[in-house]
Amino acid sequence: MNKIFARTWLIVVYLFLYLPIVTLVIYSFNDSPLVSIWSQASLRWYRALANDRDLIASVVLSFKIALIVGLLSVLFGTLTAFVLTKYKRFYGRTFFFSMATAPLVMPDVIVGLSLLLMLVSVQHWLGFPDRGLLTILLGHALLGTAYAAVVVGSRLKEMDIRLDEAAMDLGCKPRQVFRLITFPLIMPSLISAFLLTFTLSFDDVVLASFLSGPGYSTLPMVIFSRARLGLNPSINAVAAVTIAVVSVTVIVSSIYQMRTQRKRNHEIAMRYSDGIQ
Amino acid sequence: MATEPKPNKVKTDLLRVEGVTKVFDGVIKAVDDVSLTVAQGEIFALLGGSGCGKSTLLRLLAGFEAPTKGRIFLAGQDITDLPPYQRPINMMFQSYALFPHLTVWQNIAFGLQRDHMPKEKIAERVESMLKLVQLTSFAQRKPHQLSGGQQQRVALARSLAKQPKLLLLDEPLGALDKKLREKTQVELVSIIEEVGVTCVLVTHDQEEAMTMASTIAVMRDGTILQTGTPDEVYEQPNSRQVAEFIGDVNIFEGQIDAYSTDHVLIRSDACMHYVMHGISGRVGLPVVVAVRPEKVLLSKEQPAGEVNWCVGEVVAVVYFGDHTIYHIQLANAQVIKAQQMNRNTELAEAIASGDRVYASWSGLALVVLVQ
Amino acid sequence: MPHGVVWLWLCWFNKSSICAYWSQLGVMIIHFKKLFSGKNILILLPYLWLTLLVAVPLLIVLKISLSEMSATSVADMVSWSQGWPTIKINFASYLFLATDPLYIDTYLSSIKYALLTTLICLVVGFPFAYFMARAPKHLQSMLLMLIMLPFWTSFLLRIYAWKTLLVSNGIINNVLLSFGLINQPLAMMNNSFSLILGMVYSYLPFMILPLYANLSKLDVRFLEAAADLGASAFKTFWLVTVPLSKAGIIAGSMLVFIPAVGEYVIPELLGGSDTLMIGRVLWDEFFANNDWPMASAVAVVMMLLILLPMSLLNSYQSRQVEFEP
Repeated sequence: MNKIFARTWLIVVYLFLYLPIVTLVIYSFNDSPLVSIWSQASLRWYRALANDRDLIASVVLSFKIALIVGLLSVLFGTLTAFVLTKYKRFYGRTFFFSMATAPLVMPDVIVGLSLLLMLVSVQHWLGFPDRGLLTILLGHALLGTAYAAVVVGSRLKEMDIRLDEAAMDLGCKPRQVFRLITFPLIMPSLISAFLLTFTLSFDDVVLASFLSGPGYSTLPMVIFSRARLGLNPSINAVAAVTIAVVSVTVIVSSIYQMRTQRKRNHEIAMRYSDGIQ
Repeated sequence: MATEPKPNKVKTDLLRVEGVTKVFDGVIKAVDDVSLTVAQGEIFALLGGSGCGKSTLLRLLAGFEAPTKGRIFLAGQDITDLPPYQRPINMMFQSYALFPHLTVWQNIAFGLQRDHMPKEKIAERVESMLKLVQLTSFAQRKPHQLSGGQQQRVALARSLAKQPKLLLLDEPLGALDKKLREKTQVELVSIIEEVGVTCVLVTHDQEEAMTMASTIAVMRDGTILQTGTPDEVYEQPNSRQVAEFIGDVNIFEGQIDAYSTDHVLIRSDACMHYVMHGISGRVGLPVVVAVRPEKVLLSKEQPAGEVNWCVGEVVAVVYFGDHTIYHIQLANAQVIKAQQMNRNTELAEAIASGDRVYASWSGLALVVLVQ
Repeated sequence: MPHGVVWLWLCWFNKSSICAYWSQLGVMIIHFKKLFSGKNILILLPYLWLTLLVAVPLLIVLKISLSEMSATSVADMVSWSQGWPTIKINFASYLFLATDPLYIDTYLSSIKYALLTTLICLVVGFPFAYFMARAPKHLQSMLLMLIMLPFWTSFLLRIYAWKTLLVSNGIINNVLLSFGLINQPLAMMNNSFSLILGMVYSYLPFMILPLYANLSKLDVRFLEAAADLGASAFKTFWLVTVPLSKAGIIAGSMLVFIPAVGEYVIPELLGGSDTLMIGRVLWDEFFANNDWPMASAVAVVMMLLILLPMSLLNSYQSRQVEFEP
C-alpha cells in the first residue's frame, strides 16, 4: 500500500513538472496563431523563427555573454572556493563568506538594482562602462561566481587533504601542488560549474534588463517583452528548440556519468579477483 | 627510583629533536618539550593513545607543522625551518594518499620527477621499487583498481623512491585486519631493513610497536614517558603509566619495609614482596610494585617462604586457545591476573573457577614503580 | 648629482645611521613582500571581486535611498563648504514607504505569498524527496536527473507555458470545455491561484534537492531501531525522520522563501493587479517612474526583511556540506 502511494506521489509531481514543457513543445507545431487553440500541425513557426532577425541576434548575444560568463565564473568561483576551504582563518573571513553566498539567495531585483547603481556611479567617475554587453556580463559573472563557488567548493571539501601533503612531502612546491594534483581532480566540477553558470546567464532576464543598454537585448529579454504582451507562437518555437538542446545535453551527460560510474564500480570489484593481496 | 634505560651502542645519530614544543591556538599543547635521538638504521616507534601528541610530532618531523619552540636536526643539519618539499624525509600516510588520477608507475615516479631526474634514471628507479614491493605487473593500474594491501605497497614504494634519509610511517598497520597485519608487519620490516633506511613510526598498537621497532618511546599528553628497547619498556617500565599502558600488569600498592642496595622489602595488603633490585627511598615510603601476569605461577599447594606469594580464589577463567588467563581474587578483594600457556591438554593440576589457589612469582620479576 | 655627493658625505660621517637606514629599508621590503605573499594575493583577488560587486553596490543602494532624485543623476549627499563636509540625508523615500498603506500592504502580501509558497513546496516536496531517497539505488540517479532536467530548461519559458495553459482561452480550459466538463472557462489566470501555482512550480526543485541530499544520507537503522522499540510508521515519521531532516528542511525552506519574497518575473507574467508583490513595485519604481531613491528604499527595506532568514540559513549552512565560516 505504501509503495503504491509513494509511486503515485512521485508520478503526479513529475507530471506536474513536465506538463508545461510538454505542452510548449506540442503547441509549437500548432498552425494557428492563437497559441492555445489547436488547428493543425505545421512547421510554420519554425520557418518564421529562421527569419526572425531580432530573435536570432539576441540568441547570438546571449550565447556570447554566457560563454564569457561561464569562464569568469569558474575562475572567480574556484578562487573563492579555494580560499574558503584552504584558509580557515584570515582577516574578514566571515564577511567574505557572507558576500560569497549572498547572491545565491538575494532576490534578483536587488542584485540587479544594486549592480546598476554601482556601475552608473563608476560611469560618472571614470567615464565608462556604458551599459551594454560589459555590464550584463559583470552582473551574470557575479551570480555565476556564487554558484560556481558552491559547486567547486563541495568537491574541494571532499578532496583528501592528505593528497596535498603527500605531494609536498614528495617535493612539490605549493603552486605545483595545485597544477598537478588539485586541478586535475576538480576538473569534473569545473565543467559542471561552467555548464551551470552558462545556463544561468543564458536564462536570466531580471539582471539583463537592469544592466543592459540600448541595442543590447538578450534572448530572455526578447521573450519576456513578447510574453508580457500576450501569447506568441514564436516563443513556443524557441522554447521547443531550447528544450530539445537542453534535454539532449542533460540526457547525454547523465548517461556518460552513469557509464563512468558503472565502469569504476566494476574496476573496484575486480581488484579482489586477482587473488592474493 | 626506576632503573635507567641501557645506553645506545655507539652509532651515528641521524635525527635529533631538541626541546620541541607545539602549541595550537595559544592554548592546546600538543607536544610539550620533547627531546629524542634516533640512530642511523633504527626503527623508532612513537607509541601512545589518541591525543598523546605522537601524530603531531610526526607532522613536525615531516614539516607540515612548525614547532612553537625547539629545533630539529637531521644528519647534523638544522631542518626546523625547511618546508616539507625541501626535507630529505618522506612519509607513508595512514590512508596511503595515493594520487587517484595517476597510475601506480606515475605515483612512484612523482617525487623523482619533482627532482628533475633524467627519464632513464627515473624508469630505472621506479622499476626497482616495483620489484621491491612485488607489484611489477600492476604498474599501469590506478589506485582504485588495487586492493588495500596493494595500495599500501605502492605507498611504501613511493615513499622509498627518493631514497630519503628518514622514513616516517603513520600507523602503517592500522587499516588491516589481524591476519593481514602479521603478514604485512614481517614484509614491511624486511623491506625497510633491506633498504637500510632509518624509520620513525607512529602507532597506538603496542603489539605493532613491540614487533616492528628497535626502540620505543611511550608518549602521553605531549611528553615522552619512557624511551627504550621493547624489552626494556616491557620488563622495566619506569612508571605505573607505562606499565599499565603496555600489556597487562598486576599492581600492588604498599610501603617500604626495609631496603638495601640490592633488594627491597615491600609490604602490601595481600602479601610481602621481596624485590631483587635496589632502590633509594626510606622506610614507610608508599610505593607501587608490578608483576606481569605471565610471570605469576599458580599452584594448589602453598609455596615455600614468606615472600612473593599470595592466596586467593579463582573468579574467572578466560580461555584464549593458546593461553588462559585466570582472574584471582585475593583476601583484600583485589583481583590479580595470572597467565598460563596451554602446553598440555591435560594439566597436572587443572585449575577451575572457584578453586583456592596460591599465586607466586620470582623476586626478579618484580618492578618497583613511581606512581 | 649633488644629492649623490651629499649622500656620500653623509655616509662617510654617519656610518651607523646608514646601517639603520638600510636595515629599516630591508624591514620595509620584507613586510611589503609578506603583504604581497602568494597567499595574500590569492585571497585578495576574489575578495576584491566580491567586495566590488556585492558590498559596494549594496552600500550605494543605501546611499541613494537617502538622497533626492534630480533630473539626470543622483544629487551627491556630501557637499563641502569651508573645508567641512555636510551630509545631506533625505528620508523622504522612507517616510513615504512608512506612511503609504499600499507599500506596507505590498510588503506583507509578498511575505504572505512567499510563506504560502514555502509551505506548499514543503508539503509536496518532503514526501517526494523521501520517496526518492527510499527508491532502489539504481533508479535514484535517473530520478534525480528527471528533477534536474526542468531546472536546466529556461525558467522564463516554463512560466510562459503556464500562461498558455491557464488563460481563459488557454489549453486547460479548451480541453475541459471540449470534453464538456465545464460550461464556462475557469478563472485561473492573473490571480492568486496562478501566482502561487507558478511560484510553487519554479521553486519546488529548490526545496526537493536539499531535502533529498539530507534524506538520502539518513541511516535506515534509525528507523529500524524505532520500529524495534515499538513505534508505528506514523510515529516513526514524526519522531525520528522529521527531526533528523531538520537541517534539510531549513535549508530548503530558506532557499525558497528568501528569493520568493522579491520575485518579479512570476508575478509579472502570471499575477494580476490584485496580487501585490514587492519585486514588481521595485521594478516599476525604477523603470516606470524612474525614481531611483524610491526603488533603493524599497530594496533596503526588502533586504532588512530577509536579513533574519538569511542569517538563519548562513548559520545552518555553516554546519553543512559546503564551507565552514
